[in-house]
Amino acid sequence: MKNILYIEDNPDNLLLVKRVLTSHGYHVLEARNGFEGLSVAQREDVDLILLDINLPDIDGYEVARRLRSTGKSGLAYVPIIAITANALKGDAEKALEAGCDVYMSKPINIRELWARVEGFVESPQ
Amino acid sequence: MVPQPTANGHASSGKTSYYSQLECSGCGEMFDTDKIHTFCPNCQSPLLVRYDLENVRKHIDRDALRHRPNGMWRWHELLPVKDPKNFIFLGEGDTSLLDLPRIGSELGLRNLFVKDESKNPTGSFKARGLAAAISKAKELGIEKVIIPTAGNAGGAMAAYAARANIKALIYMPKDTPRANIEESRIAGAEVVLVDGLISDAAGMAGEKAKAEGWFDLSTFKEPYRVEGKKIMGYELAETLDWTLPDVIIYPTGGGTGLVGMWKAFEELEALGWLHNIKRPRMVCVQADGCAPVVKAFEEGASFCDFWLNAHTLASGLRVPKSFADALILEILRKSEGIAISVSDPAILEAQRKIGRMEGIFPAPEGAATLTALEKLVEQKWIDPGEKIVLFNTGLGLKYLDSLI
Repeated sequence: MKNILYIEDNPDNLLLVKRVLTSHGYHVLEARNGFEGLSVAQREDVDLILLDINLPDIDGYEVARRLRSTGKSGLAYVPIIAITANALKGDAEKALEAGCDVYMSKPINIRELWARVEGFVESPQ
Repeated sequence: MVPQPTANGHASSGKTSYYSQLECSGCGEMFDTDKIHTFCPNCQSPLLVRYDLENVRKHIDRDALRHRPNGMWRWHELLPVKDPKNFIFLGEGDTSLLDLPRIGSELGLRNLFVKDESKNPTGSFKARGLAAAISKAKELGIEKVIIPTAGNAGGAMAAYAARANIKALIYMPKDTPRANIEESRIAGAEVVLVDGLISDAAGMAGEKAKAEGWFDLSTFKEPYRVEGKKIMGYELAETLDWTLPDVIIYPTGGGTGLVGMWKAFEELEALGWLHNIKRPRMVCVQADGCAPVVKAFEEGASFCDFWLNAHTLASGLRVPKSFADALILEILRKSEGIAISVSDPAILEAQRKIGRMEGIFPAPEGAATLTALEKLVEQKWIDPGEKIVLFNTGLGLKYLDSLI
């Protein structure tokens, strides 16, 4: 089973993305804020992280930085796809500098998301 | 005067529009045509209008359409507005297809043309898309519209919204050409200048739309702008006596025109209106400082990566990632076309060359197509006898600040 961690506080986005990924055979772990996301990433075996940038506690950039400097074996190299509500100035640059691998802005084109996820973690189906 | 549906020859069956379905370009789901839509709520891909082409074929004589009053709305059966009272008309459409004899001769090309979209109201091709979108917005009862823009789309939206008595709010980068800022304000729109790119403007407009209920007319985030743009494809076919050119060279920011023309060619083929069904090779032209489609095309990718630190004097090409990137890339590949980027100095040189040799003062985006053509001739990607159409998307006079 391939585990994808989605760190996102918006329930609509969470539902939409979870539905799509689950239908392709991935197992989706959820976190509603940055600290919860870091905690799940430490605790579980995660293959890919989808990271919303606008989170209610620490922002996604900080989450990415902390993930990249973690001591947990392998976690620092788990691919991160950053997702922002709006492509505001420098968001893409900041996300990549913080250690994310790919940047996407909402609305998330589901076909693109699926293609990008598959690019990192092959679909179990 | 608004051109009304007429019955010249067999041009009219009495039906204003054969708009029958609204289809998601990603997952294929269908949506109600009489409701307000943005993009697909399920897969978040652009929605495309579908027509009852079988009945258009039965009831409309393509050759009789020439006799209708000039302008985009003479193709109203193939546009989405169902009541002619909602046509918002400022003279858009029926732009000239001019030959370029001196430049053609210099490059050894025998059939070189430019579709000069600067003849549209507000001086750019954006008038076509916004005429369709604002007309449909009026039909759907929308009272306030918002748009993020690199410039010309804002001016066009402001003009059509003014005529439709719809409130307009525009977000544009603060370094947008002054002509675009002033034309928008003159037309009564509220203009917000943003410290950033069109993607930043899109972000802010998106938030405002959500918070205050403005209808967002961003490229491909509503289904109707592309319908206005597609008429460029119909006009090309009609002007070339119902044939298509071999190559179309098109400056690509959001890509509505490219997607729209390809849609027109598909519809024309389904209607049986073409003498040759060979589609043109589509060439997407971008700037070296913002070339997400070129990169994705060369890498064989299905989607574009967001282009970092986008910069070019051709403001219409400063689009770090189009919402319709998948469609654009699919069309380039299907058409056996290509994506190519050009430098800002070369764009400025081409702008002067087109002015000096052909008497046309193109927008930088339009001039970029000549630079791309020169490269393609050099690479022998184009044969001397092929029929080639460049697109000048706007009036050079609107970009005086960029002339250095």
